[in-house]
Amino acid sequence: MTEADEKDGTPTVLVDPIDMSKLDPEFRNEIKSMPNGEELNACFACSTCTAACPIANIWTYKPHQLIRMIILGMREEVLSSDEIWLCLTCFQCQERCPQKVRVTDIFFDCKNLAAEEGKIPENIVGLAKTLLEKGQLYEVTADWEREDMDLEPEVPGLSTDEFIEIVKATRTGKIAGGEE
Amino acid sequence: MGCSVPANYPNYEAAMHKVAEGLGMELEYMEGVACCGSPNLRAIDMMGWLTVNARTLAIADKNGHDIVTPCNGCFGSLKDVYHFLKHDAKYLKEVNAVLKKEGLEFKGVAKPRHFVEALYSDVGIDEIKKKITKPLDGVGIAIHYGCHILRPKDVTEFEPKMLQDLVTVTGASVIDYPLWKQCCGATVLPVSEDLAIRLARDKLKSMTEAGAAFATVCCPACGNQLDLQQLGLKDSYGEEYNLPVLLYPQILGLAMGLDEDEVGLSMNRVAADPILEHLTE
Repeated sequence: MTEADEKDGTPTVLVDPIDMSKLDPEFRNEIKSMPNGEELNACFACSTCTAACPIANIWTYKPHQLIRMIILGMREEVLSSDEIWLCLTCFQCQERCPQKVRVTDIFFDCKNLAAEEGKIPENIVGLAKTLLEKGQLYEVTADWEREDMDLEPEVPGLSTDEFIEIVKATRTGKIAGGEE
Repeated sequence: MGCSVPANYPNYEAAMHKVAEGLGMELEYMEGVACCGSPNLRAIDMMGWLTVNARTLAIADKNGHDIVTPCNGCFGSLKDVYHFLKHDAKYLKEVNAVLKKEGLEFKGVAKPRHFVEALYSDVGIDEIKKKITKPLDGVGIAIHYGCHILRPKDVTEFEPKMLQDLVTVTGASVIDYPLWKQCCGATVLPVSEDLAIRLARDKLKSMTEAGAAFATVCCPACGNQLDLQQLGLKDSYGEEYNLPVLLYPQILGLAMGLDEDEVGLSMNRVAADPILEHLTE
Protein backbone atom coordinates (compact mmCIF):
# COMPACT_ATOMS: atom_id res chain seq x y z
CA MET A 1 0.00 0.00 0.00
CA THR A 2 1.38 3.40 -0.96
CA GLU A 3 1.26 6.53 1.12
CA ALA A 4 -1.17 8.09 -1.37
CA ASP A 5 -3.67 5.23 -0.90
CA GLU A 6 -3.72 5.69 2.82
CA LYS A 7 -4.69 9.32 2.50
CA ASP A 8 -7.63 8.51 0.24
CA GLY A 9 -11.14 7.83 1.51
CA THR A 10 -12.51 8.00 5.02
CA PRO A 11 -10.29 6.98 7.91
CA THR A 12 -10.87 3.46 9.20
CA VAL A 13 -12.42 3.28 12.65
CA LEU A 14 -12.56 0.12 14.67
CA VAL A 15 -15.76 0.93 16.48
CA ASP A 16 -18.54 3.33 15.61
CA PRO A 17 -18.61 6.29 17.98
CA ILE A 18 -21.08 5.90 20.82
CA ASP A 19 -23.74 8.60 21.11
CA MET A 20 -23.47 9.42 24.80
CA SER A 21 -26.86 11.15 24.87
CA LYS A 22 -28.57 7.85 24.03
CA LEU A 23 -27.06 5.92 26.90
CA ASP A 24 -29.25 4.71 29.73
CA PRO A 25 -27.19 4.95 32.91
CA GLU A 26 -29.83 3.00 34.83
CA PHE A 27 -29.47 -0.10 32.66
CA ARG A 28 -26.55 -1.45 34.65
CA ASN A 29 -28.45 -1.09 37.91
CA GLU A 30 -31.43 -2.81 36.39
CA ILE A 31 -29.25 -5.81 35.45
CA LYS A 32 -27.45 -5.75 38.78
CA SER A 33 -30.76 -6.05 40.60
CA MET A 34 -31.72 -9.14 38.59
CA PRO A 35 -30.84 -12.76 39.41
CA ASN A 36 -27.07 -13.24 39.46
CA GLY A 37 -26.35 -9.78 38.08
CA GLU A 38 -24.51 -8.50 41.19
CA GLU A 39 -20.98 -8.98 39.86
CA LEU A 40 -21.55 -7.06 36.63
CA ASN A 41 -19.29 -4.13 37.56
CA ALA A 42 -16.38 -6.44 38.30
CA CYS A 43 -15.83 -6.92 34.56
CA PHE A 44 -12.49 -5.48 33.47
CA ALA A 45 -13.00 -6.37 29.80
CA CYS A 46 -10.26 -8.99 29.62
CA SER A 47 -12.23 -10.88 26.91
CA THR A 48 -11.73 -14.29 28.49
CA CYS A 49 -15.48 -14.87 28.06
CA THR A 50 -15.15 -14.20 24.35
CA ALA A 51 -12.18 -16.55 24.07
CA ALA A 52 -14.24 -19.26 25.78
CA CYS A 53 -17.36 -18.77 23.66
CA PRO A 54 -17.62 -21.42 20.92
CA ILE A 55 -19.68 -19.15 18.67
CA ALA A 56 -18.25 -15.67 19.33
CA ASN A 57 -16.79 -15.77 15.81
CA ILE A 58 -20.26 -15.26 14.34
CA TRP A 59 -21.32 -12.58 16.82
CA THR A 60 -21.17 -8.92 15.84
CA TYR A 61 -21.09 -8.02 19.53
CA LYS A 62 -18.79 -10.40 21.41
CA PRO A 63 -19.66 -11.48 24.96
CA HIS A 64 -17.19 -9.06 26.59
CA GLN A 65 -18.57 -6.25 24.42
CA LEU A 66 -22.13 -7.03 25.46
CA ILE A 67 -21.11 -6.83 29.11
CA ARG A 68 -19.35 -3.52 28.43
CA MET A 69 -22.42 -2.27 26.56
CA ILE A 70 -24.58 -3.07 29.58
CA ILE A 71 -22.24 -1.16 31.86
CA LEU A 72 -22.20 1.79 29.46
CA GLY A 73 -26.00 1.80 29.25
CA MET A 74 -26.54 0.71 25.64
CA ARG A 75 -29.89 -0.77 26.59
CA GLU A 76 -31.56 -0.63 23.20
CA GLU A 77 -28.63 -2.24 21.35
CA VAL A 78 -28.26 -5.07 23.88
CA LEU A 79 -31.94 -5.91 24.17
CA SER A 80 -32.46 -5.80 20.41
CA SER A 81 -29.40 -7.90 19.64
CA ASP A 82 -29.63 -11.33 18.07
CA GLU A 83 -26.68 -12.40 20.17
CA ILE A 84 -28.56 -12.78 23.45
CA TRP A 85 -30.87 -15.28 21.74
CA LEU A 86 -28.07 -17.12 19.97
CA CYS A 87 -26.33 -17.73 23.30
CA LEU A 88 -25.99 -21.50 23.68
CA THR A 89 -26.29 -21.20 27.46
CA CYS A 90 -23.25 -23.47 27.63
CA PHE A 91 -21.82 -21.40 30.52
CA GLN A 92 -18.24 -21.58 29.21
CA CYS A 93 -17.91 -17.76 29.45
CA GLN A 94 -19.23 -17.65 32.98
CA GLU A 95 -17.12 -20.59 34.08
CA ARG A 96 -13.88 -18.96 32.98
CA CYS A 97 -14.51 -15.38 34.04
CA PRO A 98 -11.66 -14.44 36.41
CA GLN A 99 -13.88 -11.79 37.97
CA LYS A 100 -16.78 -14.13 38.69
CA VAL A 101 -19.15 -12.18 36.47
CA ARG A 102 -22.06 -14.52 35.79
CA VAL A 103 -22.05 -13.77 32.09
CA THR A 104 -24.51 -16.44 30.91
CA ASP A 105 -26.88 -15.68 33.78
CA ILE A 106 -26.73 -11.98 32.85
CA PHE A 107 -27.66 -12.83 29.26
CA PHE A 108 -30.68 -14.69 30.67
CA ASP A 109 -31.59 -11.49 32.54
CA CYS A 110 -31.25 -9.52 29.28
CA LYS A 111 -33.54 -11.97 27.50
CA ASN A 112 -36.13 -11.50 30.24
CA LEU A 113 -35.99 -7.72 29.78
CA ALA A 114 -36.24 -8.13 26.02
CA ALA A 115 -39.17 -10.52 26.49
CA GLU A 116 -40.94 -7.97 28.69
CA GLU A 117 -40.72 -5.56 25.72
CA GLY A 118 -42.01 -8.23 23.36
CA LYS A 119 -38.68 -8.75 21.61
CA ILE A 120 -38.68 -12.53 21.32
CA PRO A 121 -37.75 -14.73 18.34
CA GLU A 122 -40.84 -16.25 16.77
CA ASN A 123 -39.86 -19.85 17.43
CA ILE A 124 -39.38 -19.13 21.13
CA VAL A 125 -42.88 -17.64 21.25
CA GLY A 126 -43.97 -20.95 19.71
CA LEU A 127 -42.31 -22.86 22.55
CA ALA A 128 -44.00 -20.57 25.08
CA LYS A 129 -47.36 -21.45 23.49
CA THR A 130 -46.58 -25.15 23.70
CA LEU A 131 -45.69 -24.79 27.38
CA LEU A 132 -48.84 -22.81 28.09
CA GLU A 133 -51.13 -25.23 26.27
CA LYS A 134 -49.54 -28.58 27.10
CA GLY A 135 -47.59 -27.93 30.27
CA GLN A 136 -44.58 -29.60 28.73
CA LEU A 137 -42.35 -29.34 25.68
CA TYR A 138 -42.72 -32.92 24.51
CA GLU A 139 -45.79 -35.12 24.68
CA VAL A 140 -45.83 -38.88 24.41
CA THR A 141 -47.16 -39.66 20.95
CA ALA A 142 -45.65 -43.07 20.28
CA ASP A 143 -46.94 -44.92 23.35
CA TRP A 144 -46.36 -48.28 21.60
CA GLU A 145 -42.64 -47.53 21.79
CA ARG A 146 -43.00 -47.20 25.55
CA GLU A 147 -44.92 -50.47 25.74
CA ASP A 148 -42.23 -52.15 23.64
CA MET A 149 -39.83 -51.17 26.39
CA ASP A 150 -42.14 -52.51 29.14
CA LEU A 151 -43.00 -48.99 30.27
CA GLU A 152 -46.44 -47.66 31.13
CA PRO A 153 -47.93 -46.11 27.96
CA GLU A 154 -48.62 -42.91 29.87
CA VAL A 155 -45.95 -41.32 32.02
CA PRO A 156 -46.70 -42.26 35.64
CA GLY A 157 -47.28 -39.29 37.92
CA LEU A 158 -47.42 -36.72 35.14
CA SER A 159 -49.71 -33.79 35.91
CA THR A 160 -49.55 -30.67 33.76
CA ASP A 161 -52.45 -28.56 35.05
CA GLU A 162 -50.46 -27.01 37.89
CA PHE A 163 -47.62 -26.06 35.54
CA ILE A 164 -50.09 -24.40 33.19
CA GLU A 165 -51.74 -22.51 36.08
CA ILE A 166 -48.37 -21.15 37.18
CA VAL A 167 -47.12 -19.95 33.80
CA LYS A 168 -50.52 -18.55 32.86
CA ALA A 169 -50.09 -16.05 35.68
CA THR A 170 -46.49 -15.14 34.84
CA ARG A 171 -44.95 -13.62 31.71
CA THR A 172 -45.53 -16.74 29.60
CA GLY A 173 -49.25 -16.08 29.84
CA LYS A 174 -48.73 -12.57 28.47
CA ILE A 175 -46.43 -13.73 25.68
CA ALA A 176 -48.33 -16.78 24.54
CA GLY A 177 -51.88 -16.17 25.68
CA GLY A 178 -54.63 -13.98 24.33
CA GLU A 179 -53.41 -13.02 20.88
CA GLU A 180 -54.84 -16.06 19.10
CA MET B 1 -38.48 -37.94 34.51
CA GLY B 2 -39.18 -34.73 32.61
CA CYS B 3 -40.87 -34.66 29.21
CA SER B 4 -38.22 -35.45 26.63
CA VAL B 5 -37.08 -38.86 27.91
CA PRO B 6 -40.57 -40.41 28.18
CA ALA B 7 -41.68 -38.97 24.84
CA ASN B 8 -38.54 -39.41 22.75
CA TYR B 9 -36.24 -41.83 24.54
CA PRO B 10 -38.18 -44.69 26.14
CA ASN B 11 -35.01 -46.74 25.61
CA TYR B 12 -33.19 -44.39 28.00
CA GLU B 13 -36.00 -44.57 30.54
CA ALA B 14 -36.19 -48.37 30.36
CA ALA B 15 -32.43 -48.87 30.51
CA MET B 16 -32.27 -46.57 33.53
CA HIS B 17 -34.93 -48.59 35.36
CA LYS B 18 -33.35 -51.94 34.56
CA VAL B 19 -29.88 -50.84 35.56
CA ALA B 20 -31.21 -49.35 38.78
CA GLU B 21 -33.09 -52.53 39.55
CA GLY B 22 -30.01 -54.66 38.95
CA LEU B 23 -28.04 -52.46 41.32
CA GLY B 24 -30.66 -52.45 44.07
CA MET B 25 -31.56 -48.82 43.58
CA GLU B 26 -35.19 -47.94 44.14
CA LEU B 27 -36.63 -45.36 41.74
CA GLU B 28 -40.15 -43.97 42.04
CA TYR B 29 -42.00 -41.76 39.59
CA MET B 30 -42.83 -38.44 41.24
CA GLU B 31 -46.55 -37.74 41.52
CA GLY B 32 -48.02 -34.54 40.16
CA VAL B 33 -45.03 -33.09 38.33
CA ALA B 34 -44.52 -31.88 34.77
CA CYS B 35 -41.87 -30.13 32.68
CA CYS B 36 -38.89 -28.04 33.93
CA GLY B 37 -39.66 -25.49 31.22
CA SER B 38 -36.12 -25.73 29.80
CA PRO B 39 -33.69 -22.81 29.38
CA ASN B 40 -36.23 -21.34 26.95
CA LEU B 41 -38.66 -20.70 29.78
CA ARG B 42 -35.87 -19.24 31.88
CA ALA B 43 -35.05 -16.88 29.00
CA ILE B 44 -38.51 -15.41 28.65
CA ASP B 45 -40.12 -15.91 32.04
CA MET B 46 -37.73 -16.09 34.97
CA MET B 47 -40.50 -16.02 37.56
CA GLY B 48 -42.50 -18.79 35.87
CA TRP B 49 -39.36 -20.92 35.52
CA LEU B 50 -38.39 -20.39 39.17
CA THR B 51 -41.88 -21.25 40.35
CA VAL B 52 -42.48 -24.44 38.34
CA ASN B 53 -39.10 -25.84 39.36
CA ALA B 54 -39.50 -24.75 42.97
CA ARG B 55 -42.81 -26.59 42.92
CA THR B 56 -41.16 -29.82 41.79
CA LEU B 57 -38.51 -29.38 44.49
CA ALA B 58 -41.21 -28.66 47.09
CA ILE B 59 -43.00 -31.90 46.17
CA ALA B 60 -39.72 -33.73 46.69
CA ASP B 61 -39.40 -32.02 50.08
CA LYS B 62 -42.87 -33.24 50.97
CA ASN B 63 -42.06 -36.77 49.77
CA GLY B 64 -38.82 -36.77 51.71
CA HIS B 65 -36.78 -38.11 48.78
CA ASP B 66 -34.16 -36.60 46.50
CA ILE B 67 -35.06 -36.09 42.85
CA VAL B 68 -33.14 -38.17 40.34
CA THR B 69 -33.37 -37.25 36.67
CA PRO B 70 -31.83 -38.72 33.51
CA CYS B 71 -32.00 -35.35 31.69
CA ASN B 72 -29.40 -32.57 31.82
CA GLY B 73 -32.12 -30.05 31.02
CA CYS B 74 -34.21 -30.98 34.05
CA PHE B 75 -31.07 -31.34 36.13
CA GLY B 76 -29.77 -27.90 35.10
CA SER B 77 -33.09 -26.17 35.74
CA LEU B 78 -33.73 -27.86 39.07
CA LYS B 79 -30.16 -27.33 40.26
CA ASP B 80 -30.10 -23.70 39.17
CA VAL B 81 -33.38 -22.98 40.91
CA TYR B 82 -32.35 -24.91 44.02
CA HIS B 83 -29.08 -22.98 44.24
CA PHE B 84 -30.72 -19.65 43.51
CA LEU B 85 -33.53 -19.98 46.04
CA LYS B 86 -31.09 -21.11 48.69
CA HIS B 87 -29.24 -17.83 48.21
CA ASP B 88 -32.02 -15.34 47.53
CA ALA B 89 -34.51 -14.65 50.28
CA LYS B 90 -36.58 -12.19 48.27
CA TYR B 91 -37.40 -14.56 45.42
CA LEU B 92 -37.81 -17.45 47.87
CA LYS B 93 -40.57 -15.55 49.65
CA GLU B 94 -42.28 -14.67 46.40
CA VAL B 95 -42.14 -18.24 45.07
CA ASN B 96 -43.32 -19.79 48.31
CA ALA B 97 -46.26 -17.40 48.39
CA VAL B 98 -47.42 -18.93 45.10
CA LEU B 99 -46.70 -22.51 46.21
CA LYS B 100 -48.64 -22.00 49.44
CA LYS B 101 -51.90 -22.08 47.47
CA GLU B 102 -51.16 -25.74 46.81
CA GLY B 103 -50.00 -26.32 50.37
CA LEU B 104 -46.40 -26.63 49.24
CA GLU B 105 -43.20 -24.96 50.38
CA PHE B 106 -39.68 -24.98 48.98
CA LYS B 107 -37.43 -25.88 51.89
CA GLY B 108 -34.36 -27.00 49.98
CA VAL B 109 -33.99 -30.28 51.86
CA ALA B 110 -34.53 -32.79 49.04
CA LYS B 111 -31.86 -32.35 46.40
CA PRO B 112 -32.06 -32.50 42.63
CA ARG B 113 -29.56 -35.03 41.29
CA HIS B 114 -28.55 -36.54 37.99
CA PHE B 115 -28.99 -40.29 37.57
CA VAL B 116 -25.30 -40.81 36.74
CA GLU B 117 -24.25 -38.93 39.86
CA ALA B 118 -26.60 -41.09 41.94
CA LEU B 119 -25.05 -44.21 40.40
CA TYR B 120 -21.61 -42.94 41.25
CA SER B 121 -22.35 -41.68 44.77
CA ASP B 122 -25.10 -43.97 46.07
CA VAL B 123 -24.23 -47.28 44.46
CA GLY B 124 -20.53 -46.66 43.94
CA ILE B 125 -18.01 -47.97 41.44
CA ASP B 126 -17.02 -50.98 43.59
CA GLU B 127 -20.59 -52.25 43.83
CA ILE B 128 -21.20 -51.67 40.13
CA LYS B 129 -18.03 -53.60 39.33
CA LYS B 130 -19.45 -56.67 41.06
CA LYS B 131 -22.43 -56.66 38.69
CA ILE B 132 -20.44 -56.47 35.46
CA THR B 133 -20.82 -59.86 33.84
CA LYS B 134 -20.09 -58.99 30.20
CA PRO B 135 -17.34 -56.39 30.28
CA LEU B 136 -16.46 -54.42 27.19
CA ASP B 137 -13.13 -55.21 25.58
CA GLY B 138 -11.50 -51.81 26.07
CA VAL B 139 -13.35 -50.22 23.17
CA GLY B 140 -12.84 -46.43 23.02
CA ILE B 141 -15.83 -44.37 24.10
CA ALA B 142 -15.98 -40.57 23.88
CA ILE B 143 -18.02 -38.97 26.66
CA HIS B 144 -20.22 -36.00 25.90
CA TYR B 145 -21.20 -34.75 29.35
CA GLY B 146 -23.41 -31.92 28.19
CA CYS B 147 -23.20 -28.31 29.35
CA HIS B 148 -25.87 -28.30 32.01
CA ILE B 149 -24.39 -31.15 34.01
CA LEU B 150 -20.91 -29.56 34.00
CA ARG B 151 -21.56 -25.85 34.33
CA PRO B 152 -21.85 -23.61 36.21
CA LYS B 153 -19.84 -25.89 38.44
CA ASP B 154 -20.63 -24.03 41.67
CA VAL B 155 -24.27 -24.90 40.92
CA THR B 156 -24.08 -28.39 39.37
CA GLU B 157 -21.39 -29.78 41.70
CA PHE B 158 -20.66 -32.47 39.11
CA GLU B 159 -17.19 -33.89 38.48
CA PRO B 160 -16.31 -35.30 35.04
CA LYS B 161 -14.49 -38.09 36.85
CA MET B 162 -17.85 -39.55 37.91
CA LEU B 163 -18.91 -40.42 34.37
CA GLN B 164 -15.35 -41.39 33.38
CA ASP B 165 -15.24 -43.97 36.15
CA LEU B 166 -18.71 -45.17 35.25
CA VAL B 167 -17.56 -45.78 31.67
CA THR B 168 -14.29 -47.49 32.58
CA VAL B 169 -15.98 -49.80 35.08
CA THR B 170 -17.83 -51.37 32.12
CA GLY B 171 -14.45 -52.37 30.67
CA ALA B 172 -14.49 -49.65 28.01
CA SER B 173 -11.79 -47.00 27.78
CA VAL B 174 -12.44 -43.27 27.74
CA ILE B 175 -11.22 -41.40 24.67
CA ASP B 176 -9.86 -37.90 25.27
CA TYR B 177 -10.84 -35.46 22.56
CA PRO B 178 -10.22 -31.73 22.23
CA LEU B 179 -13.85 -30.53 22.21
CA TRP B 180 -15.02 -32.56 25.23
CA LYS B 181 -16.32 -29.48 27.04
CA GLN B 182 -18.12 -28.07 24.05
CA CYS B 183 -21.87 -27.67 23.63
CA CYS B 184 -23.88 -29.99 21.36
CA GLY B 185 -25.97 -27.07 20.11
CA ALA B 186 -29.35 -28.30 21.35
CA THR B 187 -30.39 -25.09 23.10
CA VAL B 188 -29.95 -22.92 20.02
CA LEU B 189 -31.94 -25.28 17.77
CA PRO B 190 -35.16 -23.20 17.86
CA VAL B 191 -33.28 -20.00 16.98
CA SER B 192 -30.70 -21.19 14.46
CA GLU B 193 -30.79 -24.71 13.13
CA ASP B 194 -27.66 -24.20 11.00
CA LEU B 195 -25.65 -23.16 14.01
CA ALA B 196 -26.97 -26.07 16.08
CA ILE B 197 -25.97 -28.51 13.35
CA ARG B 198 -22.51 -26.97 13.04
CA LEU B 199 -21.91 -27.47 16.74
CA ALA B 200 -23.06 -31.09 16.66
CA ARG B 201 -20.86 -31.70 13.63
CA ASP B 202 -17.80 -30.15 15.29
CA LYS B 203 -18.26 -32.47 18.26
CA LEU B 204 -18.68 -35.57 16.13
CA LYS B 205 -15.63 -34.65 14.08
CA SER B 206 -13.53 -34.12 17.19
CA MET B 207 -14.66 -37.44 18.71
CA THR B 208 -14.11 -39.44 15.55
CA GLU B 209 -10.67 -37.93 14.83
CA ALA B 210 -9.59 -38.83 18.35
CA GLY B 211 -10.40 -42.46 17.58
CA ALA B 212 -13.71 -42.97 19.38
CA ALA B 213 -15.67 -46.06 18.33
CA PHE B 214 -18.75 -44.92 20.24
CA ALA B 215 -19.99 -41.87 22.08
CA THR B 216 -22.02 -41.76 25.24
CA VAL B 217 -24.39 -39.10 26.52
CA CYS B 218 -26.54 -38.62 29.62
CA CYS B 219 -29.11 -36.20 28.22
CA PRO B 220 -31.92 -36.64 25.68
CA ALA B 221 -31.28 -33.28 24.02
CA CYS B 222 -27.58 -34.04 23.57
CA GLY B 223 -28.52 -37.51 22.35
CA ASN B 224 -30.80 -35.97 19.77
CA GLN B 225 -28.09 -33.63 18.55
CA LEU B 226 -25.31 -36.17 18.30
CA ASP B 227 -27.30 -39.19 17.16
CA LEU B 228 -30.24 -37.99 15.07
CA GLN B 229 -28.42 -35.03 13.50
CA GLN B 230 -25.80 -37.38 12.03
CA LEU B 231 -28.39 -38.44 9.48
CA GLY B 232 -28.70 -34.88 8.16
CA LEU B 233 -24.95 -34.25 8.02
CA LYS B 234 -24.71 -36.35 4.89
CA ASP B 235 -26.66 -33.65 3.05
CA SER B 236 -25.53 -30.49 4.82
CA TYR B 237 -21.82 -31.24 5.15
CA GLY B 238 -21.36 -34.25 2.88
CA GLU B 239 -19.91 -36.04 5.88
CA GLU B 240 -20.75 -39.43 7.30
CA TYR B 241 -19.60 -40.27 10.81
CA ASN B 242 -21.52 -43.45 11.60
CA LEU B 243 -20.60 -42.91 15.23
CA PRO B 244 -23.05 -44.82 17.45
CA VAL B 245 -24.27 -42.67 20.34
CA LEU B 246 -25.46 -44.59 23.40
CA LEU B 247 -27.24 -43.32 26.46
CA TYR B 248 -25.02 -44.23 29.37
CA PRO B 249 -27.42 -46.74 31.04
CA GLN B 250 -27.50 -48.67 27.76
CA ILE B 251 -23.76 -49.27 27.96
CA LEU B 252 -23.86 -50.15 31.62
CA GLY B 253 -26.89 -52.39 31.06
CA LEU B 254 -25.18 -54.37 28.32
CA ALA B 255 -22.10 -54.82 30.49
CA MET B 256 -24.39 -56.03 33.29
CA GLY B 257 -25.73 -58.73 30.98
CA LEU B 258 -28.94 -57.15 29.69
CA ASP B 259 -29.66 -57.92 26.07
CA GLU B 260 -29.93 -55.40 23.26
CA ASP B 261 -33.75 -55.33 23.33
CA GLU B 262 -33.86 -54.70 27.04
CA VAL B 263 -31.84 -51.50 26.59
CA GLY B 264 -33.68 -50.60 23.37
CA LEU B 265 -30.62 -50.52 21.16
CA SER B 266 -32.67 -50.58 17.97
CA MET B 267 -34.22 -47.19 18.86
CA ASN B 268 -30.86 -45.43 18.50
CA ARG B 269 -30.82 -43.68 15.11
CA VAL B 270 -27.23 -44.51 14.15
CA ALA B 271 -26.95 -48.30 14.32
CA ALA B 272 -25.64 -49.01 17.81
CA ASP B 273 -25.46 -52.78 17.61
CA PRO B 274 -21.73 -52.82 16.67
CA ILE B 275 -21.18 -52.38 20.41
CA LEU B 276 -22.39 -55.98 20.91
CA GLU B 277 -19.22 -57.19 19.19
CA HIS B 278 -17.20 -55.57 21.95
CA LEU B 279 -18.83 -57.48 24.77
CA THR B 280 -16.81 -60.40 26.08
CA GLU B 281 -18.69 -63.64 26.61
